[in-house]
Amino acid sequence: MADEKKPRALATTAAAKIPKMTRANLAATVRAREEGKKVAYAFIVCAIDEIMRAMDIVPAWGESFSGICAAKRDAEKYLQRAEAENFSRSLCTYATCNLGFDMWREELKGEMPPDVPWGGIGRPDMVLGSGQQLCDPRYKWPQATQHYLRDVPVFVGGMYYPPWDPALDYREQEAFYVKYNTEELHACVRFCEKVTGKKMDWDRLAEIVDLTDRTINLFIETYELRKTMPCPMDTGDAMNTMVPISFMLGTQECYDFYRDLRDELKEKIAQKQGVVEDEKYRLLWGAGLPSWFALADFQYFNSKGAVFPVETTYRCTEALDRLDLPETNDPLEHIAWRWVRYWTHWYDKARRRPGSMPEVERLIEYIEDYKCDGVVFHSAFSCRSWHAGIMLQAEVLRQVCQDIPVLIMEGDIVDISSYNEADTRNRIDAFIEVLETRKNRA
Amino acid sequence: MPNTDALALVDKYYSNYGSRARELKAAGNKILGYLSALGPVEIMTAAGSVPLRLKGNVSEPITKADAHMETIACPFIRNVFDSALKGRYDYLDGMVMPHQCDSTDKTSNVWSHNLGLPYWHFLNVPHLADDPSVGFFTSVLGVFKKSLEKFMGREITDKDLARAVEAYNENRRAMRELYSLRRFVPPLISGVEMTKVLVAAMSLPVDESTSLIKGVIREVQERAAHSGATSSPRVMIIGDQIDNTAIAEIIEGAGAELVMDHLSLGSKIYWPDVDVTADPLAGIAERYLRKVKLPTTFVAGGDTYEENLEARFGHIRDFITEFKVNAAIIFVYKYCDPYGFEVPALKDFIESTGVRVLYLEDEYSTSTLGRVKTRIEAFLEMIE
Ligand code: SF4
Ligand code: SF4
Repeated sequence: MADEKKPRALATTAAAKIPKMTRANLAATVRAREEGKKVAYAFIVCAIDEIMRAMDIVPAWGESFSGICAAKRDAEKYLQRAEAENFSRSLCTYATCNLGFDMWREELKGEMPPDVPWGGIGRPDMVLGSGQQLCDPRYKWPQATQHYLRDVPVFVGGMYYPPWDPALDYREQEAFYVKYNTEELHACVRFCEKVTGKKMDWDRLAEIVDLTDRTINLFIETYELRKTMPCPMDTGDAMNTMVPISFMLGTQECYDFYRDLRDELKEKIAQKQGVVEDEKYRLLWGAGLPSWFALADFQYFNSKGAVFPVETTYRCTEALDRLDLPETNDPLEHIAWRWVRYWTHWYDKARRRPGSMPEVERLIEYIEDYKCDGVVFHSAFSCRSWHAGIMLQAEVLRQVCQDIPVLIMEGDIVDISSYNEADTRNRIDAFIEVLETRKNRA
Repeated sequence: MPNTDALALVDKYYSNYGSRARELKAAGNKILGYLSALGPVEIMTAAGSVPLRLKGNVSEPITKADAHMETIACPFIRNVFDSALKGRYDYLDGMVMPHQCDSTDKTSNVWSHNLGLPYWHFLNVPHLADDPSVGFFTSVLGVFKKSLEKFMGREITDKDLARAVEAYNENRRAMRELYSLRRFVPPLISGVEMTKVLVAAMSLPVDESTSLIKGVIREVQERAAHSGATSSPRVMIIGDQIDNTAIAEIIEGAGAELVMDHLSLGSKIYWPDVDVTADPLAGIAERYLRKVKLPTTFVAGGDTYEENLEARFGHIRDFITEFKVNAAIIFVYKYCDPYGFEVPALKDFIESTGVRVLYLEDEYSTSTLGRVKTRIEAFLEMIE
């Protein structure tokens, strides 16, 4: 076991840069006031990154801070404070961790609570939430935050996409969804203008949107290099390299990061360097946020010769040429189209395969493209958004893709009390045996 | 309906939930199940179908659902799904699943896949109530209307909608009149009886529901002559779909009176009416987003936080005054983010009116009722 816990020799150098970048992101939120910048509590996958960047608003990502607290196994003190205020343990722990921290800081009249991981997160000047199909905390968390930070204004905008329904033509609905999302993005701009006292520079926004488009394409191009055998980078690293695309979209630094990562992966491929020396099994991380306090589980998989060349988590974007986006002069409308089409672009495939659904088509696409032998899901109890519906995905996948081995692990993103290392590893061992048997049979 | 029958009929519909829908199905009607306060009953009725709001069975353990649905979905959703899997609603022709929360949104495909009903529609209700959201939701309702027309094989005209809107507004007026009889000291109708009425009402076609409520009103009004004043604590309960009498029984068994609710099958749906608008769907959209007060709709109103609280919860204070409430119980199902995240704000708001609050998080099951009972009894002992 001791051997298995050694840091991976083949982890990318790009991934190793991430802790520093994350620290810098957090430090920027703490420093912002001195620099005369406004800070917004924000949530990933809300499509407002470019607006914030164009207006020089410093995003303070609650999920990032809570994830760090969890990774450092230091979230409990915040969770307990939230619980003492009647926030149930069954609620999203990213949110309750952050709320517990906020309460503590307010009690200390704005001072950072003692021993806060990585210097803490800055007090916001605004909260930018989102109403969408993704998650309830994205509009409830801002409201709950305001109960403790009463002077901080909150904006929640709508961001929807036509839901999957094989009986309906989503194309007939796209236009009114895009119109609505665009209106809401404009409302977000107006809100930010009010809080910052600055007008949006629309040319700058257009440039940032263009940079974002190029970054997205580069990100997908880079990640698709992982199709190579042996796989040069796996999900264990991707849970780090997701930081720029999730938290820094719309910045040059984000673009540069993926350029460097792409170059590094090309180099590894040239040298036939894989994540594991003897790659036996290729796995798809089918869904789920990871247990941040147990990322070593990826290494455990690696120690068994298993590697994850692909994951759906934190890949909430797609190469733009696959989305066929209509032309528009309004950068916000472009963002709205990009959003809607990201979700709907698997619908046609799902329609063509009776009994299938878009999430499963995505899995099948990845299984085929990345030559995967099995699928692993993680079901985190405090987040319904990404994790309810996993059983169905697994069931439909088995139905339409026959007997591909599937493992559903259970745990949480932040709350360590749900985790048992020995049990988890026993389940991984059993899964590896299934993969082995199947391989031998083949 | 003769004066004496209404409460007996309520009892029948309550104990044998959905029995009327089953009869109507046998008579050739199409029955559409739906979940939550956001089910657009006006449109379902205008289409000529019979809407039936689904409930679970708190006395029955979940035995089938867990094989298909994560246990992190809220226990209410899991229980109703379990009931459906066990064939309790085997007479449904279809279902409408409004996007109320993650537990509905993220399980919609699980329901449709496993139930395999001839008709399924996920209604994408937004979480906001600003002007663009009302316009957007009007379009979403338009998509639903079109898909329902196809399924029902008939057009839904503006006239059909106007008739259905009026029928539901009348139904809500009747229910509000019945609620007004709870203002009496003591209330003319008990919390247990009222729970049964609310449950029975959501299982009936609108006109039958209205005439049942009117029958109950006539029956209950006669009690006014015989009632004498009491000084029992007057309790209000707040939550989502609490659709069984167990909690009312505990409250009233402890000597208190359950005089008001802010539940998704009670005042939350009976206070707001649909306005008559040029485009009938716009009036319907407006009601569901702006008037039905659910924690799943983000309310942006107010320049200050205090004003925002007023916009979100002010109506609860009005209820407290009107119904002379002096104790409130917030009952939230486990894993419910929308209700759960607003507990501290809501609790503080109610306490600021001088009313004591008990917050409970629990299951949709009688198996945990022991601890609920102990907490409620201890709480009520403190109320003068
Ligand atoms: S519920 Fe899930 S998606 Fe939403 S904020 Fe929490 S962890 Fe993120
Ligand atoms: S109780 Fe909460 S989680 Fe469950 S259906 Fe209602 S709003 Fe959704």
